[in-house]
Amino acid sequence: MKVLLSWLREFVDVRESAEEIARVMSLRGFAVEGLEKVGDDSVIDFEVTGNRPDCMSIVGMAREVATAFELAGKLPDNRRPGSARSDTASAGGITITLENPDLCPLYAGGLADVTVAPSPEWMQARLKAGGVRPISNIVDVTNYVLLELGQPMHAFDAAKLEKNEIRVRTAREGERMRTLDGQERTLTGDMLVIADGVRPVGIAGVMGGGDSEVTDSTRSIVLESAYFNPLSIRRTSRRLALKTEASTRFERGTDRMMPAQALLRACELLEQIGAAKQRGTVIAGSVSDIAPVVLTLRRRRVAALLGIEVPDHEVSRILASLGFAVAAAADGWSITVPPRRVDVSREEDLIEEVARHHGFDRIPGRFPSLRQPPAAVDPRIARARQLRSVMTGAGFSEANSFGFIAESAAVPFAGDEGIVAIANPLSENFAVLRPSLLPGLADAVAYNRHRQQRDVRLFEIGARFSRKEGEQRVIAAIWAGAVGDDHWAGGTRPVDFFDMKGVAERIAATIGVDTRAEPVGLVPPQSRSIGGEPAVSWLVPGRAAALIENGTTIGYVGQLARDVAERHGLAPGDAVYVTEINLDAADALAATRSTRVEPLPRFPSVARDISILVDESLPAAAIRETIRDAAPPTLVGVREFDRYKGKGVPEGKVSLSLRLTFRSPDRTLTDAEVQKAMDDVLAALRSRHDAVQR
Amino acid sequence: MADSPLQPATIEALRADFRARVAFARTDADLKALHDEFLSRKAGSVTGLLKQLGTLAPDVRRQTGALVNELKAEIESSLEERRSALSASRPPADAVDVTLPGRDLPLGRIHPLMRVRHEIEDIFTRMGYEILEGPEVEDDFHNFEALNMPPDHPARDMQDTLYLQTPIIGGIWGAHRRASLGGQPPDAQVRAATLLRTHTSAMQIRYMQTFKPPVRIIVPGRVYRRDNLDLTHTPMFQQFEGLVVDEGITLADLKGTLEAMVQALFGDTARVRLRPSFFPYTEPSAEVDISCQGCGGSGCAICKHTGWLEILGSGMVHPAVLEAVGYDPERVSGFAFGTGIERIAMLKYRVDDIRLFYENDLRFLEQFPA
Repeated sequence: MKVLLSWLREFVDVRESAEEIARVMSLRGFAVEGLEKVGDDSVIDFEVTGNRPDCMSIVGMAREVATAFELAGKLPDNRRPGSARSDTASAGGITITLENPDLCPLYAGGLADVTVAPSPEWMQARLKAGGVRPISNIVDVTNYVLLELGQPMHAFDAAKLEKNEIRVRTAREGERMRTLDGQERTLTGDMLVIADGVRPVGIAGVMGGGDSEVTDSTRSIVLESAYFNPLSIRRTSRRLALKTEASTRFERGTDRMMPAQALLRACELLEQIGAAKQRGTVIAGSVSDIAPVVLTLRRRRVAALLGIEVPDHEVSRILASLGFAVAAAADGWSITVPPRRVDVSREEDLIEEVARHHGFDRIPGRFPSLRQPPAAVDPRIARARQLRSVMTGAGFSEANSFGFIAESAAVPFAGDEGIVAIANPLSENFAVLRPSLLPGLADAVAYNRHRQQRDVRLFEIGARFSRKEGEQRVIAAIWAGAVGDDHWAGGTRPVDFFDMKGVAERIAATIGVDTRAEPVGLVPPQSRSIGGEPAVSWLVPGRAAALIENGTTIGYVGQLARDVAERHGLAPGDAVYVTEINLDAADALAATRSTRVEPLPRFPSVARDISILVDESLPAAAIRETIRDAAPPTLVGVREFDRYKGKGVPEGKVSLSLRLTFRSPDRTLTDAEVQKAMDDVLAALRSRHDAVQR
Repeated sequence: MADSPLQPATIEALRADFRARVAFARTDADLKALHDEFLSRKAGSVTGLLKQLGTLAPDVRRQTGALVNELKAEIESSLEERRSALSASRPPADAVDVTLPGRDLPLGRIHPLMRVRHEIEDIFTRMGYEILEGPEVEDDFHNFEALNMPPDHPARDMQDTLYLQTPIIGGIWGAHRRASLGGQPPDAQVRAATLLRTHTSAMQIRYMQTFKPPVRIIVPGRVYRRDNLDLTHTPMFQQFEGLVVDEGITLADLKGTLEAMVQALFGDTARVRLRPSFFPYTEPSAEVDISCQGCGGSGCAICKHTGWLEILGSGMVHPAVLEAVGYDPERVSGFAFGTGIERIAMLKYRVDDIRLFYENDLRFLEQFPA
């Protein structure tokens, strides 16, 4: 709300400078968006919050300024509404009929003969200061009243009204009209319109019609000053996507006592600038049967909410100055709310008024006392922190990407079925919720690659979304480039599957799950423990594993599919490894587990190595399974320590070396025992996998 | 005899000369040269003196002989000492060049927004708050209606909302509290989320519908608005929400709490100012300013010469909100506050483009300590 200082001073005798007024009012709930000098005058641009339509006028702001500076305002008092009037009224040859008094309970029409011309310079200057473009003396007067009193008005060319009639009614379904902005609008049955005897001439409270517009040739006008139901105006304005100065005020709630008074003010101004000669007014409907809101304000409630005692006289001064009728009551006051204060409907609203003008700066700072021991931190938050320190320790930096991505980026991760689309997206790039954190991470790798970063390790913890699974908390990591820096002593090599698998295993260990990896998208091998997991389209087949615990797949690790990588701007041939692990699923698994210490072994362990030749395609997990099946319970560890193909190893075979560790909890194992175990293991490997000992 | 080199002064001069030069011997070759110059059998200067001793009278000879022999002994032991010192400091065969760079142990960085989030979480944990997260997709009731924003409420325009084409199940929250409640918290999961939450305030409702007062929680998390990307706006950002509900909670408690938070975040000299404002779910409502971090409050370009920077919104929980969750506003009252974590991070780290927090540029991330 742009307030011209000289205009404001017509209603309140405030001597302070514009700067001081701006400073004080910004502490009373009106943030200052700008302060501009206009000659020797000033324009203060106040931000009026949505709950205070009554302050979207010079008079409204004057009332606030008067209260803030403890001055008596020279404010025009609302006329008391007269006795109930009928929903139809006629005068001066015009009949006004209210067909929907619930949507428009009061409509004041003013009739005048006019001479259309530019308005005087002083009026144009005030409009410009208020941010309104001058048009003609008639339109300018309606806008002047809008700025001064906050009542939106409209002027119709009386000659264009068919049957000399104004009917305030809902539109007929599909009825069409051209609005002032030249747009052809199609109306629906719940929109309120101003119609003449035949067709709509304006969309009530939103915008007038083009056909009845005041033009240079207009000789007589009907001035409209009405009260409309806020909800109805809001719905119409939203439906038509048409927001105007008028609709903004009506939808928030105008002062229902104002229409007649505003009409008088407009007529007075029209005569004053020599633009018109009045021919009388017609008022249809009434708001006098709407009872004012009366609230009880309890003294102790003020203190209970604000934490300070506000003196009685201060409470009454503030409320009375703002236009509330204040009467003493048993333990406080009885307050009658002026109808323009649409924001005040409860005791707390009154307490806010008191606090606002008493000054928030007078509220002391205290600290609430604890009455109960605080609850534990959400373990998800603690776990995320732990993951952050583990991942940063492993060289991964934390990324932060948007929760929505382009649909084409989501498809490889969710298919068409699982994608959660946004109904009203900002743009194609933000069209769907991410089904995985990896598209965002792939973008981030490409972004850094294009900025000469060879090695990029990133992770993110956040939500992913799917139509089937809903919202799930996951951690994802991506690794591109090399392992180790370009050290003078060497040691750098390209990142591979096992680097990323190590990261995935570290994540699993951190969140307390014990997963095993199974190949995805391959024909299931001959093994009891290894299933055939269906392929995932975003991983390279043969370099992709599902991470499984207790039959639940909690994540994947592998090389990002080349077409996906390229789609995100990564160079062809750039091998990028990724993992994504579902933390919610891991939570459910880890919840059943607790930490218990095992007694330390009291007897020494014995390690034996074997090297065998097996089929290249045989998974290590199958060999391990065979060994475990064949060995006695004293086998406590199996670890592959060498895998070799090449000279000395037949085509299609691989040489695998394993270290087996044996230990008994109650005795020292003998050589013979261990040898027997090794013989059994070897026999099993031979019979089950055609293994040949090297 | 007066010109004889066997004068004590000459001997002492020789000693001084040796001492001065042995200190500069750096190599075995240097030591060998010194040895030869002073002690070689043929041409050593000390050897020469010894050879001339016979020319002296017997009584002088004894005295001078002792002097020269003492010099010889000193030179020998000094050379030996120097030799072993040199050999001790010589690099052994397996020595390394310690000035070469060490092997890089890669160290990642926590995202600056998370650093700020951790800091805030820690501040409020110390104040006895429960920290918890909520779902990012929500339903209309929790995001708007129960927060005193019924359908068609104008305040819904303040936060332009992103809606889902089809409803989905929202994320779970508060699983850790199930045991204390004897089962699933009634409001633990969004069964049909229709929108992306526009604020973390939605969790106020879920929490209060599940737990009785006293309430003292902080809810950090991502929120979504239909805002275009520019220097200060992103369609997704991080917020944290504070909520305290108990008997006798006042606006003064809110002020004191915010003062404590701001001073923990920005230092003891930071000051707090409350300005009346409007939020549908609080009454009274206040915008909270802190003294400008650029100028300390005297006025500068950062604070547009006001000395203050707006950092959060707050207020006393609206009685309609308390009623919506079944609390009695006559018995309990509360305060709530919320702010963007980006906003605080921008002030703390002097970042002037919010997009830096979303580009994941390692050159940006690596400016923060590990």
